[in-house]
Amino acid sequence: MARQLVGLASCTLGEVKNRADLLIYWGANPMESHMRHLSRYSAMSKGMYTPEGRKGRKVVVIDVRPTPTSKNADIFLQVTPGQDFEIATVLRALVNGVALHGLTDNSLIGGVPLAKWQELAELMKQSSYGVVMFGIGLTQSRGKDLNIEQLSTLVSELNKFTRFYGIAMRGHGNVNGSNQVMTWQTGYPLAVNFNRGYPWYNPGEFSVVDMLHRKEVDAALIIATDPGAHLPYDIVRYLQSIPTIAIEPHKNLTTPWANVVIPVAPAGVGAEGTFYRMDNVPLHVKKIIDFPYPSDVEVLRSIKERVSNVKNRQRAGL
Amino acid sequence: MLKIVNGQVYDPLNGDRGEVRDVYIEGGKVVDTLSTKIAEVIDATGCVVMPGGVEIHSHIAGAKVNSARSMCPEDHYDHFKKVTAITRSGSGFTIPTTFLTGYLYAQLGYTTAFEAAVPVLEARHAHEELQDTPLLDTGIYTLMGNNYLIMKVLSEKDDSARKNRLRDLVTWLLTSSKGYAVKVVNPGGVESWKWGKGSVDLDTPVPPFGVTPRGILLGLAEAIKDLRLPHGLHLHANHLGEPGNFKTTLETMYALEGYPIHFTHLQFHSYGMTKRWGLSSAASEIAEYLNTRPEFTYDVGQLVFGPATTMTSDSPMQFRLHQMTGNKWISADIEMETGSGIVPLAYKQSNLVNAIQWCIGLELLLLTKNPWQVSLTTDHPNAGPFTAYPHIIRLLMDYDFRNEMLEQLPPKVAQFTNLKDIKREYSLEEITIITRSGPAKDLGLKHKGHLGINADADVAIYRLLEDKEKMFARPAYVLKNGKVVVKDGEITQSLSGKSFLVDPDGSKVLPPDLIEEFAKYYTIALANYAVQDEYIIHPEVIACD
Repeated sequence: MARQLVGLASCTLGEVKNRADLLIYWGANPMESHMRHLSRYSAMSKGMYTPEGRKGRKVVVIDVRPTPTSKNADIFLQVTPGQDFEIATVLRALVNGVALHGLTDNSLIGGVPLAKWQELAELMKQSSYGVVMFGIGLTQSRGKDLNIEQLSTLVSELNKFTRFYGIAMRGHGNVNGSNQVMTWQTGYPLAVNFNRGYPWYNPGEFSVVDMLHRKEVDAALIIATDPGAHLPYDIVRYLQSIPTIAIEPHKNLTTPWANVVIPVAPAGVGAEGTFYRMDNVPLHVKKIIDFPYPSDVEVLRSIKERVSNVKNRQRAGL
Repeated sequence: MLKIVNGQVYDPLNGDRGEVRDVYIEGGKVVDTLSTKIAEVIDATGCVVMPGGVEIHSHIAGAKVNSARSMCPEDHYDHFKKVTAITRSGSGFTIPTTFLTGYLYAQLGYTTAFEAAVPVLEARHAHEELQDTPLLDTGIYTLMGNNYLIMKVLSEKDDSARKNRLRDLVTWLLTSSKGYAVKVVNPGGVESWKWGKGSVDLDTPVPPFGVTPRGILLGLAEAIKDLRLPHGLHLHANHLGEPGNFKTTLETMYALEGYPIHFTHLQFHSYGMTKRWGLSSAASEIAEYLNTRPEFTYDVGQLVFGPATTMTSDSPMQFRLHQMTGNKWISADIEMETGSGIVPLAYKQSNLVNAIQWCIGLELLLLTKNPWQVSLTTDHPNAGPFTAYPHIIRLLMDYDFRNEMLEQLPPKVAQFTNLKDIKREYSLEEITIITRSGPAKDLGLKHKGHLGINADADVAIYRLLEDKEKMFARPAYVLKNGKVVVKDGEITQSLSGKSFLVDPDGSKVLPPDLIEEFAKYYTIALANYAVQDEYIIHPEVIACD
């Protein structure tokens, strides 16, 4: 949503690998959340203009607690929770040379002295290809999308001095793929309501949690996700009270109580498909072995055909 | 089997200039006689019958288009289409969703469209979207002007080795992306941006190899000529949008004389400079030169007042635009290949610069003597949406209307442009050329853009009206592949089109040294790079001859 307000300057992971001399992980702990990320794409990788790998890069971590990622950083800025918006705002001011009246070098911003932020701002401006990778520590904490809006603006402004980009450290397999397809088919990445016969977008109103919270949903088709594990308790309780169908290759925290579970072949193992990486690079995943189950596409297609047949018969008055 | 009777046929390639003749269609092709007597008859009395429209340069599918859709919900809220028994729902004005894009083109009588800029690394995405874009035959242009491997090969000293290797690499990139033509955007300039360096001129050495934009252009132009690709080098030149850039444009043209080149959205490259660094028209300088160079073609990129969404691989240009307007900005550097940027905009009649840009596009169109050299585009959605074509056609065909519009612009435009002195009006034949026959020829599509025997049965039938905007906005019938898909401006059936591909005579595998580079510097494996066959449902390979 922050992208819809200010946009975002970004790059693919290969550019991080080949060019980035400054890496900032903010509210992200890829050492544990994206295990291959550091060695394949960022801090530890060796690329075209970064032949020294980790040695040739400056690594900064901004987080509320020490993490395995921060232990390997050159600079770790441990901040107080919920202050990300203030920090991004102060960094913007420092980068742009705006005077901060009433603050001294020792004034604490997000629990860290201003002098440290000044140092970071200089580091950012002096880098030749800087990338900030932000995770749910930033997106799901106080301020949410406003944090990202401020950070994206900071990233934009840094491009007056150097190349500087932001990348969202997205979790979950291929969540970007569903955003991409929704966008090219409806114009919006998520929270689309088709009740009116056309795509109608309003996050906060038509998002899953909000719809379920208002108990507007009277049946649910759940595909390749696990609401039983991810959604708040009372929302899950409501979901359990309505008819649910889960299309899912694995046993998870939803399948035990879903009314119908349709097992499918997992994509990339038993079915082929397209996977959109978190930097929007589309990858083809192959079918490696035969599974006794159909793919998601085959299941959805046959459901759609049967629904269409019933509807056509109804239209014809049979 | 179908026949179209009593229509005034406009088929410039075959010499028809409004002669009343019947057109016979069978098996998706135009034929000279029908094999049986039972035929569906379309009465085209009072109508003009033309080949289906061919869009030569438009941004309709792929990563940057979708990023723009997602960034700009404000573009969609008031522009939506409800689901019907035939069509799917959709939304968007300057960046419509895929299904809606297909419908909107068909509703103007267009049946073929090319996506203008796709990096190989993201080609799979573009093809996925094109599968969901109905009623159009499509193809994509593959970006090569800032490609690392291309620059590496160009830095080779030995002349003949360099030429051969480049030919093979162009072949490999085209076939890997399932692309149709070679696209170059701000050659060298995007790589220079990634290094934090300024904009480049034709002879600026570009890191890391020091090859120059001139070297990139000449190398690629020669490879394209050698490979006999159906479409020439599709070129977005350096310095787009900058006052005084016509000098760079002309220099680029001089450098490429003798090669088949398509200069795209030339309006953005035909700017003179006033004494105070402002914008003025240099359309006459560019057009006068082009009138002497029949090997060059171009499309105009006509500006349309109203909302637009600029999107291009020219990332430094987009950053400047973002700085200038303060509007939101998406940028994405694509490893090893290119960059890209998106900035939404609104062009205003009251804005002197926009008004001058508007005049420059029309001047180019009106000063170009040979209509076969120019295609009508708005560089959709950069200079405006393609849905403005009927309006632009009226501006070209109706001098009084054009002057009426001109009078609504700031009076100062007269100082910087010559539009009001140009009295030329386009004929229907010339409109047919710049919207279908010309672009089809430019693209090397021998079965498109005309209604001779064996042509694809893509046909647009418009009721002859005095108001040409109304006439072209609502075709009486549109036929795609011999089937009626639009009647009275409404979609009557939806079908999927073909994808145009090429199969040039070069090596389909990468040489060992480049395989090594690929493995070291890309983040995906070489085996996963090329777009798989299943991403193309109805391929049609156009011969390189």
